[in-house]
Amino acid sequence: EKWAATRAKLPPTRLALQHFDATYGVQLGPLWPSVRVAMLSERKYGALLNNFSYDAVQADLQAQGCRDFISNRVEEEEEAQPHLEQKSEVEAQESSNDVSMKMFDGQQMNLSPNIKCLVFPRGDVTRFKSARPDTHGLLSYYLMDAASVLPCLALDVQEGHSVLDLCAAPGGKTLSLLQTQTIRFLCVNDMSVSRTRRLRKVLHSYVPKQFLTDENLRVTSFDGTKWGEIETNTFDRVLVDAPCTTDRHSLMEDDNNIFNKIRVGERRRLPQLQLDLLLAGIQAACPGGEILYSTCTLSQNQNQGVVEQAVCLARENHGIHLQAVSLRPLIRMFRNTFHFAPDLHLGEMVIPHLAANFGPIYMCKLKRLS
Amino acid sequence: SNQSSEHNHEVSPLTRKPVPELSLRSLIDMGFTDTQAEQMFESVSSVRGGGAAKHTLSTLTVLFMLGLNPTNVQKLLDKCPELLTVGETQLQQRISNLRKHGLGEGSLQRMVAYYPKILTVPVKTVKYVVAFLKERCLFTTQQVTDILRSSPAVVLEDLDQLEYKFQYAYFRMGIKQAEMVKFRLFRFTLDEVRCRHCFLERRGLYQTPDKKGQTIIKNPKMDSILNVDLDAFLTHVAQATAEEYGVFQKLLSREWQEEELQQGKIEAD
Ligand SMILES: C[S@@+](CC[C@H](N)C(=O)[O-])C[C@H]1O[C@@H](n2cnc3c(N)ncnc32)[C@H](O)[C@@H]1O
Repeated sequence: EKWAATRAKLPPTRLALQHFDATYGVQLGPLWPSVRVAMLSERKYGALLNNFSYDAVQADLQAQGCRDFISNRVEEEEEAQPHLEQKSEVEAQESSNDVSMKMFDGQQMNLSPNIKCLVFPRGDVTRFKSARPDTHGLLSYYLMDAASVLPCLALDVQEGHSVLDLCAAPGGKTLSLLQTQTIRFLCVNDMSVSRTRRLRKVLHSYVPKQFLTDENLRVTSFDGTKWGEIETNTFDRVLVDAPCTTDRHSLMEDDNNIFNKIRVGERRRLPQLQLDLLLAGIQAACPGGEILYSTCTLSQNQNQGVVEQAVCLARENHGIHLQAVSLRPLIRMFRNTFHFAPDLHLGEMVIPHLAANFGPIYMCKLKRLS
Repeated sequence: SNQSSEHNHEVSPLTRKPVPELSLRSLIDMGFTDTQAEQMFESVSSVRGGGAAKHTLSTLTVLFMLGLNPTNVQKLLDKCPELLTVGETQLQQRISNLRKHGLGEGSLQRMVAYYPKILTVPVKTVKYVVAFLKERCLFTTQQVTDILRSSPAVVLEDLDQLEYKFQYAYFRMGIKQAEMVKFRLFRFTLDEVRCRHCFLERRGLYQTPDKKGQTIIKNPKMDSILNVDLDAFLTHVAQATAEEYGVFQKLLSREWQEEELQQGKIEAD
């Protein structure tokens, strides 16, 4: 009885910590303490600049000491030892043989020149003030984990594309995608009705009405796993930013925490839900289209595990062949801003670090071959 | 200098008639070198209000009686010139009070040389802190003596802070009184203790023991956390970079500030 009483006393944040110690301690090995202390300390934000706003805040923000991490990337010429890249390509091929995937490396990475995200330098813990509306009522920047911009950059949206954002609320990544101003049609979905409402509010606080017409935008609240029944072989780009154990939130907030005892079932079903969402996203993409899977957890089961299974099942059940697209070029460009996990055999992951306290963000890009 | 001292004489009647006993001669007679005597003379006159002069010789005598030599005395008066304003009787009382708390000749002498300020602290204050350590923190008499000997500054610490520091070490870190004394907990500020401990705790390298005093991991000894310089702490105990610790200190002090603000708000409500 006493035992039960003490057990019940453990708040969800503590349960999350115990769980992470057990799993990430093994998964990340000697890196874990440094990631752990970062996740248990105040995170850093980035300010995604809103190109639609009439306020020119960039100069102001820069005067406070922050910089756009995307234009301040490491230039290709600075890249050392190109032969190392080839080696990693070979290794990547070998290690992913089991799901018969081939990785491209060294391919041209297009970065939208319109996405700008300002961050304070390494080690600087200054906070951003929240943005104020301009004369048209639009906000000039959106505060989000700067690492969340990476999946949007990696998605590599191009002129005239149609894009599906399958799990979109509250909309940070949607906003980043809209900044590119190249999307012909954007389909924004989130199963949660209340969160979709929030997403609409975000869109209206950042994007002028003429860009939010039925011709260029659709907002829905469907169960994303059912998307294959709605619309297949359609989108040039699909973002599957899946629900996950939201590691940082689970460590810091007891409210709405997935490690709460009553949510054990939901938590155990996450990998299956993630798999179903990714499979739906794969089906929604057109042949030749690209799918980006991302989460904000460090968990292998919810990251690489899900992608591997999805690649298998897409082939077996739907005859869809996929190829993993290497994101190495991308992470090399941004290694001056983020810490990346070394040697992931599939996808890339931003790991939190006190001096650059962004992430965790996992991302993996797939190209649909058939 | 003659002129300015003439001028001073008019403003301050006290220094116009210096106490007859204090002179360069008398200082030299006590064993100070010429230079030491001059310096001493100067610093005595610079102590605020000039009230120091009348106690100087008796103060010096008391200090010599503790077994300190002229060089020691000069050094400690440099560190703590206020000592010269303390009257002889008070000084004697304070010293005998410290003796009563177990500080024998050798340690008393070392303590005064290392922390002369101890003799500016009223007997009442020392008694109060001693009682506090015994009653609130359950240190034994011998342990209190050891604390006074190794960390005399404890007598001037804010008691709330002191209690918090004790409780932090006892409850959060699971450190018992004997260890606190042995590893001189009270030499460190609360912030130093908390910051190093929190850093380890968040890295997963330190755990608060449960009711039975057990932990899943083996905690590092308090000695290796506190009684080492930052480099050694980072390389051997925390296995972290100085960059990480630097950022952590900034974040933690902001967390504490905000906690205090929050606390203040709750109390005001
Ligand atoms: C990580 S969040 C998305 C964050 C968002 N992409 C952003 O950048 O602001 C995951 C979202 O998935 C949604 N979700 C959960 N299950 C879903 C499902 N079956 N279909 C669609 N969305 C779902 C949740 O409501 C949640 O808003």
